[in-house]
Amino acid sequence: MLERLSLDGLVVIVTGGGTGLGLEMVRHLARAGANLVIAGRRPGPIEDAASEVKTVGPDAIAVPTDVGDSAQANALLEAALGHFGKVDVLINNAALVSDSLPTPIWDISDEDWQSALNVNLSGAFFCSRAASRPMVDQGKGKIINVASGFGLRGGRDIYMYCCTKGGIIQLTRVLSFSLARYGITANSIVPGFIPTVGTDTEMRESLPRSGAYLPTGKLGQPEDIGPVAVFLSSSASDYMTGENFTLDGGGLAGGLAPTGYAPLVPLEP
Amino acid sequence: MPLLSQFDLSGKVAVLYSAGGDEAPFLASVLAEAGASVFSINRRPEALEAIAGNLPDSAGHNGARHGGIAMPLDSPAAVSDVMADFDRSYDRVDILVSDTRGMFAKPLLEIASSEWDEVQARNLKAAFLLCKEMGARMVAQRYGRIVNIISGLAERGMVNGSAFSVSQAGVLALTRSLAVELGPHNIRVNAIGTGWTTAEDIPLEVQREEQLVRYIPLRQKGHPRDIGPLLVYLCSEACDYTTGQPIYVDGGLNAHP
Repeated sequence: MLERLSLDGLVVIVTGGGTGLGLEMVRHLARAGANLVIAGRRPGPIEDAASEVKTVGPDAIAVPTDVGDSAQANALLEAALGHFGKVDVLINNAALVSDSLPTPIWDISDEDWQSALNVNLSGAFFCSRAASRPMVDQGKGKIINVASGFGLRGGRDIYMYCCTKGGIIQLTRVLSFSLARYGITANSIVPGFIPTVGTDTEMRESLPRSGAYLPTGKLGQPEDIGPVAVFLSSSASDYMTGENFTLDGGGLAGGLAPTGYAPLVPLEP
Repeated sequence: MPLLSQFDLSGKVAVLYSAGGDEAPFLASVLAEAGASVFSINRRPEALEAIAGNLPDSAGHNGARHGGIAMPLDSPAAVSDVMADFDRSYDRVDILVSDTRGMFAKPLLEIASSEWDEVQARNLKAAFLLCKEMGARMVAQRYGRIVNIISGLAERGMVNGSAFSVSQAGVLALTRSLAVELGPHNIRVNAIGTGWTTAEDIPLEVQREEQLVRYIPLRQKGHPRDIGPLLVYLCSEACDYTTGQPIYVDGGLNAHP
């Protein structure tokens, strides 16, 4: 059964694949045998990531892309198909992590709101739309959307990130239900607090305190997401669709009281 | 064939409880394939034999040693007997897998009180008793992975499903609470949720004659093979930051309106 976890010969697109969680997913996917199409706005990090993949073994290309521009999302898919001739998996990971920085609602400009919606939510929609046709023609495909625990619970003054990540989770459900008949599955990865290079300094400083409130007692590491990305990209997850795969240190499992709150209440006579 | 080293259970000791159904042989087999020693607990001796028949010879593969006991887990005394048997062959437990999907469906008005109790005992109380026993050992060794296998009826209702659904929701709540309570001891507790499953290999065209199968977005029933690799990941050391979560592998039923 475990051979189904190999990605030998598969072609996987990772948006935002040059840094942070995206880069860790790229590394694990390559180790599991996948060929990579690495997208990101800045050419430097995605070219470095592609070089790293090639030293591991599989083939990789770097495609500079702003996923919030649908023409560039279409061009990303064309580049992938042009080089590899197929696309097995699309991982929509690109997001503005800076939007997770708390900001009072009255300080959020129209432009801030629109640009977050565009990259975090429209970007995933544009890439999924572009990938859906070739996947339908292939009769199979997997779309993996990287959401966040903030897509399921509220965060104080974290408007754009919460709203767009909640939208990502719904996008996943609609894609899964709509595309199941074409052999395409869609699932979300729901990370909790996992600081990366993109994490704002102020946020990073507050994170160690957050770890104390998690059942695991610690924050996640970017590499924690690797095996989950491999599982969801592989045929081992063929029967899973429309679901959330959460890595959050147990944050969502609790929540009605602080971790460590441990009352003792005897049965009434 | 490239496989991540994270999907490896070599040297780990796994306890596998099954409350019913015929999927346990597949679950035992994938744990063994990943390198774990598997100790199976099942109410029925013939089910235990089916599991043993699906495992490589004990003392063969990777130095893994497999074993098991046929006993209903309906009381603390029964659990003590099981643990005494377990302790004769193993000196630690790294993994507890409880397949708590002992199925039962009957109209509410016809369910006897004893039937209700029996469903909750096999599915929910057995999971509690095992988590307590194994959890004590895992706390002492500061490491453990617990995976409860439940039905998606933990989150949805079904005609005639009241007793069964309650037991599944109970195991899900147990999963969440123990994740929070045992997390500081380096123990992770998760659930795999399944939809409509079969352990038989039924051709798709035959499956799709059933209205139920046409209702599933992926238009086929699940097979225990579909959760095997995920089970291995959730039982692995690499599964360090996921806890308290149900992961549903149900052909898309949860996304269904």
